[in-house]
Amino acid sequence: MASNLGLICLSLALLTSIFLILSFTKHAIFKTDLNYKNFYFSFKISFFLILLAFIFLIIAFIFSDFSILAVYENSHTDKPLFYKISGTWGNHEGSMLLFILVISLYGFLFILFSKNLSPDLKSVTIFFQSIIQIIFLIFLIFTSNPFEKILPVPNQGLGLNPILQDPLLALHPPFLYLGYVGFSLLFSLLLAALVINQYDSRWASIAKRWIFLPWTFLTFGIGLGSFWAYYELGWGGYWFWDPVENASLMPWIASTALLHSILVMEKAKKLFNWTAILAILTFVLSLFGTFLVRSGILNSVHAFANDPSRGFFILIIISGLTFAAFVIFILKSSKEEKNNQSYIFLSREFSVLVNNYLLIFALVVVIIGTTYPIILSVLTSESISVGPNYYNSILAPFVFIFLILMAMGPYLKWGKNFFISIKYRFLNFLLGSIFITALLSFVLHNYDIIFWLGISCSLYLLISIIYEAYYLRFSNLNFGRLFSHAGFGLLIFAITLNHFFSKEFTAKIPIGESATYENFKITFVKSSSTKEKNYDELFGYYEVTKGNRTIPLKPSIRKYHQPEQFTAETSIKNKWFSDFYLAMDYSKDPSSGIGIRFYFNYLVALIWASFVLIILGGFLAFIQRKNEKSI
Amino acid sequence: MKLFTYIFFLIFFTQSAISSSDREIEIYKNIRCLVCQGQSLNDSNSDFANDLKKIIKDKIDQNETDKQIYKYLVDRFGDWILFDPPVKITTIFLWIIPLLVLISGFYVLYKKVSFIKNRDD
Amino acid sequence: MKNQFKILILALVFFIFVLTFYFALGTNNKNNTQVMVSKKLPRIELTSLYEEEKKISFPKINFKNYYIINIWASWCVPCRDEHPFLMKLANENKVKIFGINYKDSKMNALTFLKELGNPFYEIGIDSNGQNSIELGAYGVPETYLIDNNGIIVLKHVGPINKDMYQKILDKIK
Repeated sequence: MASNLGLICLSLALLTSIFLILSFTKHAIFKTDLNYKNFYFSFKISFFLILLAFIFLIIAFIFSDFSILAVYENSHTDKPLFYKISGTWGNHEGSMLLFILVISLYGFLFILFSKNLSPDLKSVTIFFQSIIQIIFLIFLIFTSNPFEKILPVPNQGLGLNPILQDPLLALHPPFLYLGYVGFSLLFSLLLAALVINQYDSRWASIAKRWIFLPWTFLTFGIGLGSFWAYYELGWGGYWFWDPVENASLMPWIASTALLHSILVMEKAKKLFNWTAILAILTFVLSLFGTFLVRSGILNSVHAFANDPSRGFFILIIISGLTFAAFVIFILKSSKEEKNNQSYIFLSREFSVLVNNYLLIFALVVVIIGTTYPIILSVLTSESISVGPNYYNSILAPFVFIFLILMAMGPYLKWGKNFFISIKYRFLNFLLGSIFITALLSFVLHNYDIIFWLGISCSLYLLISIIYEAYYLRFSNLNFGRLFSHAGFGLLIFAITLNHFFSKEFTAKIPIGESATYENFKITFVKSSSTKEKNYDELFGYYEVTKGNRTIPLKPSIRKYHQPEQFTAETSIKNKWFSDFYLAMDYSKDPSSGIGIRFYFNYLVALIWASFVLIILGGFLAFIQRKNEKSI
Repeated sequence: MKLFTYIFFLIFFTQSAISSSDREIEIYKNIRCLVCQGQSLNDSNSDFANDLKKIIKDKIDQNETDKQIYKYLVDRFGDWILFDPPVKITTIFLWIIPLLVLISGFYVLYKKVSFIKNRDD
Repeated sequence: MKNQFKILILALVFFIFVLTFYFALGTNNKNNTQVMVSKKLPRIELTSLYEEEKKISFPKINFKNYYIINIWASWCVPCRDEHPFLMKLANENKVKIFGINYKDSKMNALTFLKELGNPFYEIGIDSNGQNSIELGAYGVPETYLIDNNGIIVLKHVGPINKDMYQKILDKIK
């Protein structure tokens, strides 16, 4: 029953959206009056219909309505309620519905929070957003119907992958979508402005918040994924340059470049065309990421719904939308920019230009690394892999340059070269950072050049931010920038220390025995087992001794029933500066002892703290209403 | 059931602990587990990963170099099994394209910049 | 005019992009490692399934014809699917097939053969999977066609299907 209602809601939403397009087209071609109130009301109706359909799907999962194929394939009556609900978007069809819901939600929010916008800009934006909504609704209803039925109705479902039964992971897709799918609105807003010739610095002021909001969510989604990978996957790491991770990183890098270039557009009235290209590129990369993940092209732990036929449809949708957007851009792009092309060396806008240059370089590296194996295999049938070393070795030097730019850029002024008068300030920052780095280097006995660069550059940034906040004390402190830049500085600081002082060690330890590694001793004390509702669990009681500290850890192996799968649950104890992290390996041959993986992870908590700072910065930037004075 | 078998064996089979060296871990991290989804040998518990780890461990004990071990694997399974891409004619663009972007971007910056006399305000 | 030119270039770029990824969707042959083809079969030695003292070694030195090596196990479901093809190759086409019994128990292996028929000229045991890895195999079933010079002519990952069967026949003519 719920399935029929759900499909009806989706169909009605589609019809409403088509009605929106038609009525707007009539208004545009025949220049008749548009009843704006009804127009926006119709869009709001489409949003509520999609929301209702989504709720029906959730209800179907909660009540284990196995007459619906998606519920049958992805749920089970034994699943805990929370995971029944999150199972709604833990599959291709349900997550596509969530995808569309976010597209509609952003249109809805835009209508609500754009009271003072020019009616043309507002209505054309909703026009474009409706088109996007229609395209994906058609894709959903005709190729990925979440309400598709199955007959005869099975008694029990096939179960949800136990790896997905994790609270963090359950929240990961919604936040990611609120992030990269949210860029659809900026995309529409851009096309609208281009089409009606209102693409200028005033547009930039309005559009900013529609970058900051999704950017914040996307950063949060990526951080959540990283956090989950660390705590759940059991490999001691938080970023693997896995193609699916990269799929979310690509729009993140593009949108970071965008939120900087749009400031130049607003304040210095330059970079109009470039900002437009970035706005299109960000949304395209979001869609491209969606394509990569769902099409079955990628080989990754994350990849789900390996269905090439759907992949083909998504490919067509992406290409169509992108092509149309670029055609509009070519036809309508700003011609006046030809006069405004020079950037004064060491002006604020120049520093943003360099920032964008470096970010685009990083973006190209990530895109190349991720897609090269795919393209190569099509052209030559050769298969290669591109692993973490490629990305780390190429990008590392640029991160250091980045940190230095972030430290100095905000002190520069728009439109002029102000550097000379403040260069002594930068010298002081440099001395401060080198001094502290030398101190740390001496205390921690590390004299590696990478260590020096990472620590000194991140400290340079942090010192410059602290200085700005405390000593300059402008009435309009840009908290958004301060927090997010501080967060990034802290992140690199933490990552550098984590890289150099973390330890990893694997062993097979029989019960009652110990293994030693450097100054660690790991003892396998005893084991026990329990039976839960949907799994059996074997616990290993270990003691890790470092110096005069002994830390008990209790990792486990779980055997899930439906479907049968083994997972390793990690045991992590956080001791302020470091994590003691232990995981057990399951193998078919227990007679040679159970394998353990031990990680001593240094300063991981600081990595999470820096993510929080960055996200906070994004949020503050979003809610900052006033046009802060250029500092 | 299997879990109880584990405990049974744990109690009745005592051997001393065997651990992996840093070098082993580094090699395992660079090799793809062919039956997994994107994981390295170091991050995988599959049979294939364990078998391959044993073979590699034997080779290390026989004093083979990293290069020899990687060659052994690539000869049998192709470049795909290594996470570090090989440097050959077909893969050189992995590095050339970013370099081109770097150079052309720098050129754009150079064209756009203007050096005016410094003036304080 | 300049705009139209730009749009044309754009269309070309997109066409190439769609084409490339369309083919990428189709060719998901990552699992079919063909690196061993045209290479000499590595040397391995296995214990015979039937007699513990007997050793079976590869490559076969004095063989005048093509021969097949098939890696299989009684617990492997796709091995059952391809078995009829193996029977055909052995009985109708008179090709010598050497079996490598992968991580199996002797009893289960023999039961399997009793139930489905025995196409194998000889069977060696690979109890820890390491010999198969030496040959460049990483699972079951996998099949090799080797010529009279000890060169691997064909390698197939997964169960033999009609296409592969035909390819084998074409090669041994």
